[in-house]
Amino acid sequence: MIRVEGVTKRYPNGHHGLVKVSLTVHRGEFVFLVGPSGAGKSTLIRMLYGEDQPSEGEVMIDQFRLRRMTMRQLPRLRRQLGIVFQDVKLLPTRTVFQNVAFAMEVVGASHKEITKRVPQVLELVGLARRRDHYPSQLSGGEQQRVGIARALVNQPTYVLADEPTGNLDPDNASEIMKLFHEINRRGATVLMATHARDLVNQMKRRVVAIEAGQVVRDEARGAYGYES
Amino acid sequence: MSLNSVGYWFREAGRSLWRNSWMAIASVSTVTIALFVLAVFVVVSANVNHVTTLLQNQVEMRVFVKPRTTRPEEMALLKQVKTWPDVRKVDFFTKAQAAQNLRQEFPHEQALFRLIAKSNPLFDGYDVFATNPNDIPALAQRFDHSPIVNNVVYQGTVVRRLTRLGIILRWTGWVVEGLLGVATLLIIVNTIRLAVFARRREIQVMRLVGATDWFIRWPFILEGLTIGLLGAVVADAAVSLGYHWVVVRASVSLPFWPMAGFNSVFTQTSVFTIAGGLVMGGLASIIALRRFLKV
Repeated sequence: MIRVEGVTKRYPNGHHGLVKVSLTVHRGEFVFLVGPSGAGKSTLIRMLYGEDQPSEGEVMIDQFRLRRMTMRQLPRLRRQLGIVFQDVKLLPTRTVFQNVAFAMEVVGASHKEITKRVPQVLELVGLARRRDHYPSQLSGGEQQRVGIARALVNQPTYVLADEPTGNLDPDNASEIMKLFHEINRRGATVLMATHARDLVNQMKRRVVAIEAGQVVRDEARGAYGYES
Repeated sequence: MSLNSVGYWFREAGRSLWRNSWMAIASVSTVTIALFVLAVFVVVSANVNHVTTLLQNQVEMRVFVKPRTTRPEEMALLKQVKTWPDVRKVDFFTKAQAAQNLRQEFPHEQALFRLIAKSNPLFDGYDVFATNPNDIPALAQRFDHSPIVNNVVYQGTVVRRLTRLGIILRWTGWVVEGLLGVATLLIIVNTIRLAVFARRREIQVMRLVGATDWFIRWPFILEGLTIGLLGAVVADAAVSLGYHWVVVRASVSLPFWPMAGFNSVFTQTSVFTIAGGLVMGGLASIIALRRFLKV
């Protein structure tokens, strides 16, 4: 379970990123985080994986209390998380297979586990035949699939996605959204910040709207709710 | 920490050294130069210590008599010296006995001794032991006043000078090494900094998927240690080969000069260079990581 309680984020210049935000996400849920640019969606997601600290309030993910977390505990939290970025963050000098395998290598997985698990995930995201290609040889949609495969390969409990379809055309975006739906169906909790209005409306999932750093709406089977 | 991780660290360290090979060669070269100088200091110190110890085990004071002095004159002096209260013991030796002693000390140089047997170039003299070592300079002066004495050698001066030389050498060594060490450190730090920079994307991804800080650091530390070790091996090999060459030549052309044995010197240079290389490499990596890898 993800629990955000009364979280405020103040920046040194006095600007408020978030103001007393509270939010609970249960295991197995699929939650969209919507709102205008600069509303605080990304700040909230960054706090969930410990890249940003709240000025006030508490963030909890399962047994981890992020404000009291030591540097030693952070890696343990992150192994429970799969993180997907708008800019994907693939390693250009490694192939699709190596990019995904890298995430397993650096948490100490064996060669045997890697050769078993990576093809499974590549199959899931539909890139089994592209395994020896380099990122530069892939389309934007395919690159994002590699990013998703890398996030999933260590079997995270929670998948956090920050604008995963932000750089994609509508067709590719729709495919990526279906992939997240499938991931959620297989048991992972998904929290996604997005601008993709049509897709949010189609999915009919929980929608949390943030404006000027505050939660303004939280609907169980919601719609994007902003005109344009 | 599993064995998989250790394999990964070594692979990554090797890959990084290979990718930055010019910078790696530059670092290894500076380590080599610094450790080469260190090893040379070790060799010289070892030899100074060797000679000092040898002399300390020898007689306290040796008085040589001028050539063409008659035996009765020598005996008169001997008798007189025996009455001096500050002399504990005095032994007379002839130049023939001196030659005999040398022959026993250097059993491999018999041909040379046969050659000089006809015209012995050594002196008659006395081995003198003082009651109190502090009296030695005064005693030596008294001997110098005697008309038949050619010269006085007492290890007091020689040993004291050698000991002082040893101390000066050691301090010069540390100062020179300190300066070279700082320069070397800076170059390795820069190499590791470039390695960190070249792998910043990897590091970012590693953090996000939950690699521990030490998992991220190890390849860089191994890289620094490898640079230090390579430099140490090259420097040690160069100095050892050089010293071996000198020892072989010296045994032919300077047979009376006591050189420190090759094996003991080789052990010392190896210990100093390898320890020095690992310390410099490890320290440089840690400095570089503290400054350039914010974890």
